[in-house]
Amino acid sequence: MNALATAFISAGIGMGLAAMGTAIGIAWLASKAMEGMARQPEAINGIRTSMILAIAFIEAIALYALVVCLILATKT
Amino acid sequence: MNELENLGKIVYWHLTLGKLDLSITSLVISLWLATAAVFMFFFLVSRRLKQVPGKLQGVAEVMVLFLRDEVAGQIKDNRSAWLPFIIALFFFVLANNLIGLIPGLAPATSNVNVTATLAVMVFLIVQIASIKKNGLKGYCKSFLPEGIPIIIAVLMLPVEIISQLAKPFSLTIRLFANIFAGHAVIFTLISLIFLFKNYFIIPLPLLGNVCILAFEIFVAFIQAFIFTYLSSMYIASALEGH
Repeated sequence: MNALATAFISAGIGMGLAAMGTAIGIAWLASKAMEGMARQPEAINGIRTSMILAIAFIEAIALYALVVCLILATKT
Repeated sequence: MNELENLGKIVYWHLTLGKLDLSITSLVISLWLATAAVFMFFFLVSRRLKQVPGKLQGVAEVMVLFLRDEVAGQIKDNRSAWLPFIIALFFFVLANNLIGLIPGLAPATSNVNVTATLAVMVFLIVQIASIKKNGLKGYCKSFLPEGIPIIIAVLMLPVEIISQLAKPFSLTIRLFANIFAGHAVIFTLISLIFLFKNYFIIPLPLLGNVCILAFEIFVAFIQAFIFTYLSSMYIASALEGH
């Protein structure tokens, strides 16, 4: 296999794996956040702000992988 | 991605200063439009401030009060000196993210140079604030927590330096990739219509386009908030003096 085909395949596989890890992480975080909000409804505002902040952190890691895969997928 | 990169290269006026290329492209136009929009928004709000706020003043009050209490609330000392910077940063990033939803304009933050400039600016402000607060000796001491044996201190020094350098890098990539990925998805959906070469396929990509545009508004607000929150967290941790 020449290098160009390897680059294209690895771009797809890499981004898929990164998306899978991100989805699992955010799903776990969101489920714990909903549990916490159901236990104590007066803390909903604080929990919601912290949850959105943590989601942005986890999503940033998937986007590091996206940048690398974009560089690989547009090679000539 | 090559077609997307051409969006910032539609040159309206060539302008070079020696070897620097300062030509006016469409990204420069959208940067100016975003600045003008933020300026006009606050100018109209602050003309007649009422005790019971009207609609425009209400919107501005909600956002500014949220920034003052939640985001800049992390800075303990001299908070009112840092507040204009935090508010300006938030509204600048927000306006630049939202301008890209108008068809024909590109968001300025979808270019990695713009976000890198903002992140380097925040990084320099954090380091200089830390030096001014703790002095030069205290700044160098803040890399090594005290009370640890010398072997671990030698290992921890590169880790601390790398983690300080990774902060503006992660700020850059997070903002750039979120806004750029949104536009790449819109571009791919619209280009589906041209790939199928059929008129009956039009409603489906357009429906997906509407959903992605609604999500992009949400992402614009969230990314501006995240950028500002992390910047104020770094400033607060640099000012507290370890």
